[in-house]
Amino acid sequence: MSSIFRSAHDGRGFDIALALLALAYLLVFSAFPLVYNILMSFQEVDMFSLASLSRPFVGLANYMTLFANPDFWPIMGNTALFVVLCITFQLLFGFGLALFFQQDFFGASYLRGFFLAAWIIPALVAGAVWKWIFAGDAGVLNYLLSSVGLIDQKIFWLSNPAISLYSVIIANIWLGIPFNMILLSVGLAGIPKDMYEAAALDGAGPWKRFFFMTLPMMRSTLGAVISLGIIFTLQQFDLFASLTQGGPANASNVAQYWSWQLSFQTYDIASGSAVSVLMLGFVIVVAFIYVRSTRHEYSA
Amino acid sequence: MKRYVLFVVALCFLAIYLFPLYWMYLTAFKPSSETFTYPPTFWPTHPQFNFVQTFIDKKMDVYLWNSMVIAVGTTIIAALIGTGCAYALARVRSLGMDIVLFLVLMMQVLPPSLMATPIFVLFNQVGLIATPRFAVVLAQSAKVLPLFIVLCRTSFMQIPKELEEAARVDGASRLGAFLRIAVPLARNGILVTSVLIFLQSFGEYVYSRSLISQEDLQTATVGLMNFMGPNTTDWNGIMTYAVIYVTPILIVFMLLQRKIVSGLTAGALK
Repeated sequence: MSSIFRSAHDGRGFDIALALLALAYLLVFSAFPLVYNILMSFQEVDMFSLASLSRPFVGLANYMTLFANPDFWPIMGNTALFVVLCITFQLLFGFGLALFFQQDFFGASYLRGFFLAAWIIPALVAGAVWKWIFAGDAGVLNYLLSSVGLIDQKIFWLSNPAISLYSVIIANIWLGIPFNMILLSVGLAGIPKDMYEAAALDGAGPWKRFFFMTLPMMRSTLGAVISLGIIFTLQQFDLFASLTQGGPANASNVAQYWSWQLSFQTYDIASGSAVSVLMLGFVIVVAFIYVRSTRHEYSA
Repeated sequence: MKRYVLFVVALCFLAIYLFPLYWMYLTAFKPSSETFTYPPTFWPTHPQFNFVQTFIDKKMDVYLWNSMVIAVGTTIIAALIGTGCAYALARVRSLGMDIVLFLVLMMQVLPPSLMATPIFVLFNQVGLIATPRFAVVLAQSAKVLPLFIVLCRTSFMQIPKELEEAARVDGASRLGAFLRIAVPLARNGILVTSVLIFLQSFGEYVYSRSLISQEDLQTATVGLMNFMGPNTTDWNGIMTYAVIYVTPILIVFMLLQRKIVSGLTAGALK
């Protein structure tokens, strides 16, 4: 006993104790709920059995009900569309801005930092501001688009079921651009300058330099940014809550919002946890691939 | 010459990008009669200052206080538990520590809206729902702790090991060397990370909405949602609320902008 204490006080045990303290916290408040969630998805959980410790097991019934739900596949499709479009455009805008701010001019890094102002404000507030911008009758977006002649009648961004999902996507792209830009800037800064000078001397134009030097050198950064993009896009909840609440008629609903709605608004906790298990499984697979790949690079 | 052109173009990009924030401030200063004019005005002709009125009417003192309690609590827990772990992960390279780091990174990615269901049921069973703000602090700490550890770890990695070894030769214990040498040297990184965690938790929504049912314990985000309602038209008031809420956040961000950006970039990709 005293040797354990001495080790924790003076030796290797000190580091282990510090690391295990945080790990224990995460195991109790993240990993345990995660496992418990899987258990719940095989049980009958409603408001009556909520507080009891032993609930009847129902096997795969919750998942069967879920797959049979006519909303299931459209919402999964929305989720995929949301992730793909958000990441594509965040990456395009982020990469463009990162390349632009990579140039040498007065205040470049300072101005670049100000983009993060959008990232630092609560996403729910950003959602409130966008809801006002999207407003059908007095919204400024409709005014700007019609004054440059792009539209002739007002678009109802949030109440038109064919458009509402794209409105949330637009707002989320706006939110995600700064983070993408900053991470890509770090990658760009890591490419040695003299490589470009040598290539320019050999007669490679800017497009050639971009496609044959910048892109290949940025491969690992791009991989990291895309994986982080998937992870963060699937964490987006506040924008759905403030803009459309998944509506109208689930037209803009995605899995991470639907799961919450099932549990906390219709009190169908069993279905909520089944959706949650499916999505968490997906996120963990993405994170696993991402962490493995960055680890490999680190040791290489 | 080219540099000036680039600077002006950069300013234009920034102005376009930050237009939604400008629109928020502009609407807050417009009188309600001017808010719904079409075409809209881009500069308030008769600026109004409804801030005190909105603050009192919408009981923002209660909401902001609750947000503050949750953000402070979360930051304290994350800093107390996370700093030591970040230090250990920076100092020791072993299979065991690699596994710890791997687990920490995996815990970082769990979406709160998906974790809300099991956390609600669990907290309900052990009675934590009776102290809802504390419940939110516990859940939110688990959410932000991995980010805190990852960002602080890079600060500790920059401190030479030799400084601690010298202190150890002089008779300091591991704990003494950690508290008196390593932590003070990593002070800046720990502080900036704590500010970042604080700002994130100050805008927390999912857990507050899911775990807190009493009106007077709810956070500023939930208050804003209640204000927005399904068929709201008081955009004037909502934007005033938003301005009161985010202006302190933006000021802190402006002051620490360079440090937050560099801390984020150093930690995020490693």
